[in-house]
Amino acid sequence: MADLLPPLTAAQVDDKTKVDEKVDYSNLPSPVPYEELHREAFMSLKADNFEGLRFDFTKALNQKFSLSHSVMMGPTEVPSQSAETIKIPTAHYEFGANYFEPKLMLIGRVMTDGRLNARLKADLTDKLIVKANAQITNEPHLSHAMFNFDYMGSDYRAQLQLGNSALIGATYIQSVTNRLSLGGEVFWAGVPRKSGIGYAARYESDKMVATAQVASTGAVVMNYVQKISEKVSLATDFMFNYFSRDVTASVGYDYILRQSRVRGKIDSNGVASALVEERLSMGLNFLLSAELDHKKKDYKFGFGLTVG
Amino acid sequence: MESTISLKTKGKGKGSKGASSSDDKSKFDIVKEWSNWSLKKAKVATHYGFIPLIIIIGMNSDPKPNLFQLLSPV
Repeated sequence: MADLLPPLTAAQVDDKTKVDEKVDYSNLPSPVPYEELHREAFMSLKADNFEGLRFDFTKALNQKFSLSHSVMMGPTEVPSQSAETIKIPTAHYEFGANYFEPKLMLIGRVMTDGRLNARLKADLTDKLIVKANAQITNEPHLSHAMFNFDYMGSDYRAQLQLGNSALIGATYIQSVTNRLSLGGEVFWAGVPRKSGIGYAARYESDKMVATAQVASTGAVVMNYVQKISEKVSLATDFMFNYFSRDVTASVGYDYILRQSRVRGKIDSNGVASALVEERLSMGLNFLLSAELDHKKKDYKFGFGLTVG
Repeated sequence: MESTISLKTKGKGKGSKGASSSDDKSKFDIVKEWSNWSLKKAKVATHYGFIPLIIIIGMNSDPKPNLFQLLSPV
């Protein structure tokens, strides 16, 4: 740890904590929220590839309020027992309304079949944030809702989650040094009676981020992102499940160029995918997505336009 | 006579296990019933009212947009 920050903040130390001459442990930065632990890696490795046509139009009525109209046409996969994937062509229109204010954010999306997707985020105080997320359908027993209460301390974050069918979870993440943060999570689900515990660690510097996460459900995820320059970053990921012995490794890239953003990845399951977002003019973006699954012989191509 | 009374109490407390202390049992069942009823009503209210709520809050924020801007596609 030879390249730590110089002791600029030594004057603000409080008497109780011992000051290390290189790192001021009483003034550590706030860590990344637990659910965003892998966010840099997932930006390149879990880009939202889609199949078919996608058209999104967002109309801003004022600074805070906007409406969105989205049309999606394409095959959607239906889960089936046989090894083949069954795709059914569907088309739908989704209407949405968004309200953004510094302390309150409301997002609602409703589809033609009556499904509502609602999200709310409110800052109750400057340290306590409540978030709610609900998917409500017309069919009974298929709706779910999740409420999260986040508390942000000076160098830690704690979150409590309550979900619809008796799901309770809690996560906690703490900054240990300027670059390393460690966290854990616990959850209990009522309906399939199971509970789990997991641990996570994240180490970051200006140029790289490395994270690792282990859970008692058997999942182990490790990823590493290196920022090669302002425009290029590369990421790699390794996931395995020690109960089902499933292993996946992937390598991806993210090029942020002036007029476009290209992201792609290749996987050990034989999947290669890429997503190109090109800015044709102010507010007009053209999207191209491709995902080739050589193992299952499933090839998906999509194109779309985003306005506003 | 006794058997019909016991059948009635069993029908009233659907989730309850045995017929021991009836006072606590019925309070808990009333709470469960009311919470189920209120969750169902909250689900219907959210389903129909969430997007209109966002629109109402948005139309009243400043600068106040007018109705034509809401309805026109441009």
